Amino acid sequence: MNTSDVPGWRRDFPFTAEGEDDVTRREFVRYLVLASGGFAAANAAIAAWSSLRPINHGRARRIVELERIPAGGAYLFRYPTKDDPAILVRLRDDRVVAFSQKCTHLGCVVYYSADEQRMICPCHEGVFDGRTGRVLEGPPQRPLGKIEVEVRGSTVWALGAEA
Amino acid sequence: MRRGQRTVASAVGVYVIVLLSLQIFLLTVALDALQGDDPGLAWVTAALSVVLAGGSILFYRYVRAR
Repeated sequence: MNTSDVPGWRRDFPFTAEGEDDVTRREFVRYLVLASGGFAAANAAIAAWSSLRPINHGRARRIVELERIPAGGAYLFRYPTKDDPAILVRLRDDRVVAFSQKCTHLGCVVYYSADEQRMICPCHEGVFDGRTGRVLEGPPQRPLGKIEVEVRGSTVWALGAEA
Repeated sequence: MRRGQRTVASAVGVYVIVLLSLQIFLLTVALDALQGDDPGLAWVTAALSVVLAGGSILFYRYVRAR
């Protein structure tokens, strides 16, 4: 080390002690504060991504002939993209409703229990209302993503996924 | 470093760790908001996280000033 780089106190006291190069408490606090800033930046980035990312709500398209689904039965399809599993239910009162098949807890695929008129997630026993998609039991906090559907003539059409 | 200064640095370290823990929690909430398409909630968590980071910086400035 160049002598000009050595602080004056070191020249006056040229002795070293074990552990002298360890991280001091003050330095440790500095690292914590840097981490704190990193977390804040990450949080802001997530918020920005949440606002700016494009969300595909899908476009209107034909799903299935209504007669293929018995009353109280369900039909699986993909919407709005081929990577998005969805489930169409023909209720006993002949209404049709459709939801994203991804559980809002951790993304497992839900299935329809016709006896109870409920959507059930087998992974962590999340239960949703089969008519509205709202949470009835279990760990999910948000309702199932709803897909607007309409019967045109004898065909069920998907009109778009709700945000 | 004198004993008093070490004690202050330790205490401030504990406070900052508490703030950091809250920020980790806020990050999980923000990720949940991202999955649930809820940008409003994500921005609220971001604002709170920035406030907590500001608190951490103030604590650090206090330690440095001593």
